[in-house]
Amino acid sequence: MGHRIVAAVTTLIVMLALWAGLPVRVSGQAFWPKSTPKIPMSPTWVAQKAKLPPFTPPRTPDGVPNFQGIWDGAGGDGAADIEDHEWLDATTPSQETFISDPADGKIPYTPWAMAKHQEIRKGLGRGWPGEVGPRTHGAPRSLCLNTIPRINVDGNQEIIQRPGYVIMISSEVGNFHRIIPTDGRPPVGPNAKFWFGSSRGHWEGDTLVVEIANLNGRGWFDTAGNFFTENTKMVERWRLADADTIDYSVTIEDPTIYTRPWTMNFPKRRQGTDTRRLRAAAFAAVSAEERARAGFVDNAPARPRTVDPYAKEVWEEPCFEGNHENTITQRESGFKWYPGVTPPK
Amino acid sequence: MKRYLVGLVMGLAVAFAFTPMIGAGQTPAPAPYAAPRTPDGHPDLQGIWQAVNTAAEDLEAHNGRLGVPAGPGVVEGGVIPYKPEALAKKKENFEKRDTLDPERQCLLPGVPRITYEPGPFQIVQQGDKVLMMYEYRNAIRYIYMNGNPHPKGPIDWWMGDSRGRWEGDTLVVDVVHFNDQTWFDRSGNFHSEDLHVVERYTPTSAHHMQYEATIEDAKTFTRPWKISMPLYRRQEKDVELLEYACPAYLLEREWANPTSTYFK
Repeated sequence: MGHRIVAAVTTLIVMLALWAGLPVRVSGQAFWPKSTPKIPMSPTWVAQKAKLPPFTPPRTPDGVPNFQGIWDGAGGDGAADIEDHEWLDATTPSQETFISDPADGKIPYTPWAMAKHQEIRKGLGRGWPGEVGPRTHGAPRSLCLNTIPRINVDGNQEIIQRPGYVIMISSEVGNFHRIIPTDGRPPVGPNAKFWFGSSRGHWEGDTLVVEIANLNGRGWFDTAGNFFTENTKMVERWRLADADTIDYSVTIEDPTIYTRPWTMNFPKRRQGTDTRRLRAAAFAAVSAEERARAGFVDNAPARPRTVDPYAKEVWEEPCFEGNHENTITQRESGFKWYPGVTPPK
Repeated sequence: MKRYLVGLVMGLAVAFAFTPMIGAGQTPAPAPYAAPRTPDGHPDLQGIWQAVNTAAEDLEAHNGRLGVPAGPGVVEGGVIPYKPEALAKKKENFEKRDTLDPERQCLLPGVPRITYEPGPFQIVQQGDKVLMMYEYRNAIRYIYMNGNPHPKGPIDWWMGDSRGRWEGDTLVVDVVHFNDQTWFDRSGNFHSEDLHVVERYTPTSAHHMQYEATIEDAKTFTRPWKISMPLYRRQEKDVELLEYACPAYLLEREWANPTSTYFK
């Protein structure tokens, strides 16, 4: 019900946004005009942080750096494609790469893995340049299946610290938790594989270092078919670059599909401190009214905009619930289930 | 030495004096458990908890069946007070439970069902809220303790809107704004969108909490009714919430099934 109306209204809003020359969010999805200047990501951040003065982070009562609070994702296209790309469509604006190492900003796939990636990319059915042939796989995230490290890129996170734990709560792409023990416990046995893997954290100076194993290799880094496997190990580094910025990096290692370890690096800003994002949000607030007038029903109930006592509360925004029609459409249009890749021995 | 003797004599005298007050066959009530406090002075309920019963299968007393152990039920008074037409629907739900149970579609299970799903949950107390994290789907609940009333409805949320307060050592949670699509168990016990749940989490020892949920829904039931059960603190060294990614398991199974009825 209402599927066509929603599609029509979405198109209308996208056209309005393109005309206005500003990004706009519809039901969690940002739409960008072709004229959007290239969105800065890893190269810009690496240059910026080199000029920052040293920062001594505040401490929690038990004496470790205090990351608590709500942090934005990476912004931009929400990791539609983690490598550098020009404007591909209204949800995939021109954007710098997320990858800081190697220096060319590309994933160092082995020849076999590169061919596999190209095969998936050619069958995404997005209307992107170079697409040919039958549809292969839709992005797992479009089925509301989340994975690390994408949950750190896409949507905000509340970080809560307790002795022995760091907890991260995502609430913009579904409401879910990730718990990182920091008490030195051993990893889970190797036969258990998870979408989020198994995280074990420790402190190195002011940096929270998280080793991730037990990944099931079913998720993607983005929507463009950039993958890892169940052999992949990741090491995250969370460091406060200033009071309102986390310098986040994740190094990915898997000799079965990459020729060398590689690293994504980008800033996560404390919610409400990123002026570019605030301007975009102000614009989106206006068009929420527009879409309400047009009969568009958003997942989230409308909130009063003036003196809102609930402004700091996080409310239920389910992803899987409400995504059923999209799931059916994906399957009927020929996308296959993504079972992960099996590299040659 | 002398002080010790005096103490002993006085102790015996006191014990003797109080003996007649305890009747034959009666034991004195144990002192109520006083929960430890968080740094901001509230009872500390934090940790990893789990129900150990068959409530996830059926809230009422039930016999065993294939794959389901028998259970005495967790409903006070034994039977859920359905209105006649609602009881008919419950029976139909039970007959068609393999296809109608929202848990079979991996949907968020609502409250109180998520509390006694198989698998543990973890409580973390924050200044303005209590965070509950469940192994089931990595789901969360924020129970707001900031004094805000329930937001104005109608709102149809899967997990409802939770507002908490302390009554002594008990965390009392008032939950409204549900949809009508969740069940209470795998046996078809259900409710309407008028569901109002009041949960009570009372610590009874360092390792136990008593959990109660009062369920009110005038569209479905003739009167409010209550479930109660102990929750147990998980004792294993290094216990942690793992992952039950229900939608992923379901989609993977159904995607390649040409006769799947899920995609309709």
